[in-house]
Amino acid sequence: MLKDITFGQYFDTKSIVHSLDPRIKILLLILQIVFIFITKNIYALLLAFLFVLLSVIFTKVPIKIYLKNFKAILPIIIFTALINLFYTNEGKELFGFWKLTLTTGGIYKAFYFALRIVLLIAISSVLTYTTTPNDLTDAIERLLSPLKILGLKNAVHTLAMMMTIALRFIPTLVEETQKIMNAQKARGADFENGRLKEKINALIPILIPLLISSVRRAYELAEAMECRCYSVNGDRQRMKILKCSAKDLFAFLFCLIFCLGIAILNYLF
Amino acid sequence: MQPILEVKNLTHTYDESTPFSFDAVNDVSFSVFQGEIIGIIGHTGSGKSTLVQHLNGLIKPSSGKILYNGTDIWEKPKEIKKIRSEIGLVFQYPEYQLFEETVYKDIAFGPKNMGLDGEELDKRIRDICSLLEINNEYLDKSPFDLSGGEKRRIAIAGVMAMNPKVIIFDEPIAGLDPIGRKSVIKMIEDYRKRYNATVIIISHNMEDMAQLADKLLVMNKGKLIKFDTVANVFGDDQTLKSIGLNVPIVTKVFSNLKEKGFPVSKKIFTIEDAVSYLLELKERGEHFA
Ligand SMILES: Nc1ncnc2c1ncn2[C@@H]1O[C@H](COP(=O)(O)OP(=O)(O)O)[C@@H](O)[C@H]1O
Ligand SMILES: [Mg+2]
Repeated sequence: MLKDITFGQYFDTKSIVHSLDPRIKILLLILQIVFIFITKNIYALLLAFLFVLLSVIFTKVPIKIYLKNFKAILPIIIFTALINLFYTNEGKELFGFWKLTLTTGGIYKAFYFALRIVLLIAISSVLTYTTTPNDLTDAIERLLSPLKILGLKNAVHTLAMMMTIALRFIPTLVEETQKIMNAQKARGADFENGRLKEKINALIPILIPLLISSVRRAYELAEAMECRCYSVNGDRQRMKILKCSAKDLFAFLFCLIFCLGIAILNYLF
Repeated sequence: MQPILEVKNLTHTYDESTPFSFDAVNDVSFSVFQGEIIGIIGHTGSGKSTLVQHLNGLIKPSSGKILYNGTDIWEKPKEIKKIRSEIGLVFQYPEYQLFEETVYKDIAFGPKNMGLDGEELDKRIRDICSLLEINNEYLDKSPFDLSGGEKRRIAIAGVMAMNPKVIIFDEPIAGLDPIGRKSVIKMIEDYRKRYNATVIIISHNMEDMAQLADKLLVMNKGKLIKFDTVANVFGDDQTLKSIGLNVPIVTKVFSNLKEKGFPVSKKIFTIEDAVSYLLELKERGEHFA
């Protein structure tokens, strides 16, 4: 269901991860993603797994919520695993039929790539679960601010504002879709049964009201913003000042150990 | 007599099995009889909308049952579509669900989904439009060219065109001007009279509730607080006050008069009652002022 996708949501469990500077969190996320990508062997990846698991535990968001995420992308994980399982011809051959052969190397690779996807999603979720959309875009704007020197000042701000609004409206749209679907179901619409063509036709009564209400919302929001004298030009001051603290240093050290560990394991094996 | 709708120990938990789970509807039971008009009142967030969406099977209960004419509506999940055509639900702000090119086509959407077509379908639409006083000239217009109040009327007609035996309205008059409000209430009354339908209305307007409803169902924080006749619910203003709801203004005026020592003895809930009661007092020669 739509509501099962928890990626991109914010869960206010007030953990230490929540209180980190969002800029640091974004930079560390990029760092961790890079290092998960460059793991060369299963030992390095298992170390990565340990660190990601620790990060997940630090967020205090129940593991269940993370797992829900995987349910939605399970097909992708399985697909990757299967491809690797049968198209790798390394190691001992276990058995073969038709054109497919199952080798120990295949099992190893299937496990390796599946785990890597899982880790990438889990670590990205750590950022979005613990950072409000506003903080996130604020941080991105700040991180992109060097571009302002190149005369792209408005572009950076507009981009950040667009992201904020888009993120802000995702739950609203999900809720609205659910409501419209229910309303059309009450009028006898059927979204589950029927052939492909019928199913596509059944989308029209949802998509048109959704489109109309999105346009309406956009107009209303634009008007409300203009009424408060919003304009992309002009300097504005920050309501919230982002500050780095000792916690951020700790998080940075944590990641440094993680990266060093992976580098060493990559080198050793 | 068997109730047409029976709700038994209905509980609905949102976000079940997550740390955010909570009961939007909590162990609610009541019965509705054929032809009754039930009003549902309660604060925003008290679970009214969640409750009514169970009645036609749009959401499944976490526990408990809904019986329609004695049978569980979820007994045969495949036939839930039939239940939805017999128990109509007009959502809050139904005008946002219009999507067809013309008013005619939009009203036809529901009956068509029920399997009607050709002359039968055309007759159904003409019938409902004449009952609801929707002019023929409207039928070829785009629904998006109409005013807010007119859109609301069309959207309601779209549900009524399915000829449901029970029809539920979720805040049907919210956001309308007085004229729009009157015309929607008239639609509800006309439909009910013609088809002898059972009606359930959620509303915050206590005056309209006093005038329309036979019984009131009071919700607070997911729980059913009271389910009784209008007189008994509005008569007990202590309970209502304790959950932050009001009685109709006339009722308040009369109970204040009584407190001030004026010789009014009766509980009054509508303006009409007030007028006839005052006339009665005058005839008896009791001085009021
Ligand atoms: N789809 C949903 N998911 C989670 N919570 C919901 C959902 N719909 C409603 N709620 C919550 O359930 C409670 C009851 O809502 P609702 O039935 O809409 O109340 P009412 O109609 O009386 O205002 C509210 O606290 C609301 O936030
Ligand atoms: Mg509601």
